[in-house]
Amino acid sequence: MIATTRTATPARADRFDRRTALPIFTKSLSDGWRSVVGWSIGFAAALSLYLPIFPSMSGNSQMQDLIDSLPPELTRTINYQQIDTGAGYTQSTFFGLMGFLLISIAAISWGAAALGGDEESGQLELTLAHGVTRVQVALERFAALTLKILALVLVALLLILFWNGPAGLDLDLGNLVVTCLLFGGLALVCGSAALLCGALGGRRIWGIGGGAAVAVIGYVFNAIGNQSVDLEWLHNLSPYYAAFGNSPLANGTDAWTVVLFYAAALVLGGLAALTLRQRDVGV
Amino acid sequence: MTMNSSTGVGIEAVDLVKTFGSTRALDGVSFTVPSGSVFGVIGPNGAGKTTIMRSLLDLIRLSSGRATLLGTDSRNAGPELRRRIGYLPGELILEGRITGRRLLRHYANISGPVQAGRIDELADRLGLDLDRTVRTLSKGNKQKLGIVQAFMHQPDLLVLDEPTSGLDPLMQQEFLGLVREARDAGQTVFLSSHVISEIQQVADEVAILRDGRIITVSGVEALRDTAIRHLRMSASGIDVAELHDRLFPLAEVGELEVLPTATGAEATAILTGALSPFVRAIASLTLTDLVVEEPDLEESVLRLYSDPTAQPARRGLGQ
Repeated sequence: MIATTRTATPARADRFDRRTALPIFTKSLSDGWRSVVGWSIGFAAALSLYLPIFPSMSGNSQMQDLIDSLPPELTRTINYQQIDTGAGYTQSTFFGLMGFLLISIAAISWGAAALGGDEESGQLELTLAHGVTRVQVALERFAALTLKILALVLVALLLILFWNGPAGLDLDLGNLVVTCLLFGGLALVCGSAALLCGALGGRRIWGIGGGAAVAVIGYVFNAIGNQSVDLEWLHNLSPYYAAFGNSPLANGTDAWTVVLFYAAALVLGGLAALTLRQRDVGV
Repeated sequence: MTMNSSTGVGIEAVDLVKTFGSTRALDGVSFTVPSGSVFGVIGPNGAGKTTIMRSLLDLIRLSSGRATLLGTDSRNAGPELRRRIGYLPGELILEGRITGRRLLRHYANISGPVQAGRIDELADRLGLDLDRTVRTLSKGNKQKLGIVQAFMHQPDLLVLDEPTSGLDPLMQQEFLGLVREARDAGQTVFLSSHVISEIQQVADEVAILRDGRIITVSGVEALRDTAIRHLRMSASGIDVAELHDRLFPLAEVGELEVLPTATGAEATAILTGALSPFVRAIASLTLTDLVVEEPDLEESVLRLYSDPTAQPARRGLGQ
């Protein structure tokens, strides 16, 4: 029976605690899964409120009369021109409005917290004093942000597929998948902008401001560009329009548009890493 | 001056300068810490202690100068260097939602390798419950978590910013024991404090920092020599003027006050430096009382802080 509680001079050959691969990434995920579950519940609530009532909207001429009686500027702003089809309805109510709002808020709050919020709270200082590089910390957190957003996108995809039959949406699976990817890509661009601005300013509020600017300006430019031919050039400045302007749920999209969003997010994430590398942290 | 005979250099800081806007936080700080020794920095708030530590860890970038840690330039040093360093920030903020054990496991993942059982051993010594949620811990217990994460991977260099803040006296002693053990194991320790007595207990050398400059680096014994002793004496058969004339010319005597008593005169003063001139001066007196207090390191250092032009003792004329 050995009862040594303490070794005076522990031999170097002793057993060491096992280490996790990608420690920052796995930590971000283990810290963030509750939040993902919370936002998923929000998605489920939104989709289960909107989608089941589609049959009563589409076959209903009174509903179309109501929409026709609204000012055209309003219907253009909220993209309600095509809600008589399942694709148009799902696009307008979820991807273009409620879902966009929810996933943008989630992505921006995660992105802003990942570097800016962590530095503001004072915890980033201690992390960076350990055996990691700043680029590694930024990129692993960007990867975790991407995975969390894609998890939400998957939840949305599965919920919409669930309602597709019962609500008579008649959605094309391929178009739904690319629309979900665009939806996630748009959110990831907002979240990466928040990550970058948080890395620049070292404060959560910088990240929230930067991410919200991308989301809100994208939405507003799309809405204003919808109003008249003279203002359509604003569409070129709107990530929101780039994702949804061509009604991908009805028409599909080309692969390049999808790639563009994820490439842009990657560039923003890389810039966040380079920014963090240059800065004085925690001052 | 340096009594450490080990060959390597733990920290070599050369002319560190750091400006924040128009503020010069570090104004040409240079010092060397031999490996296997304990180096203390004391100074008032805002003197630049934390700025030195953060620049050593490459958390902030020096405006000029360079710091070499364990033979590696700290600027843009890779993770290999920081795995060999244990750091305790002055303003310790820890994630609150998880248990201490999980938090330490996370830090173990990104520090140097931690021996199995080492975390529990340290927690036992410090009386820290690792299974409580961090948020529910007192300030002192959070500080213990910070100490464990700094020491757990037995780093070659420990950089500890105000390590005992929040610890009760018993735990302060336990912590100082950890520091001595680290030194005995060949680890280098760089620590700051505003509690001079604890630096006095463990440090081989002490730097005094004020306004971003090192005023003096000395061994603790040397610092003690410059320290102030309080003197109180009374003698019979002597009047006030005579006693005053006898003591006032001495260079070692300051803040002299002489008062008459029923049988003679009494004097209070502070003494700095050598004692023998004073002893010679009073040898022929008929002393009724003589008290020379133990040198107070804290007070002598505080005097250095309070007045930039001050000598360790200021001469003053009593009545």
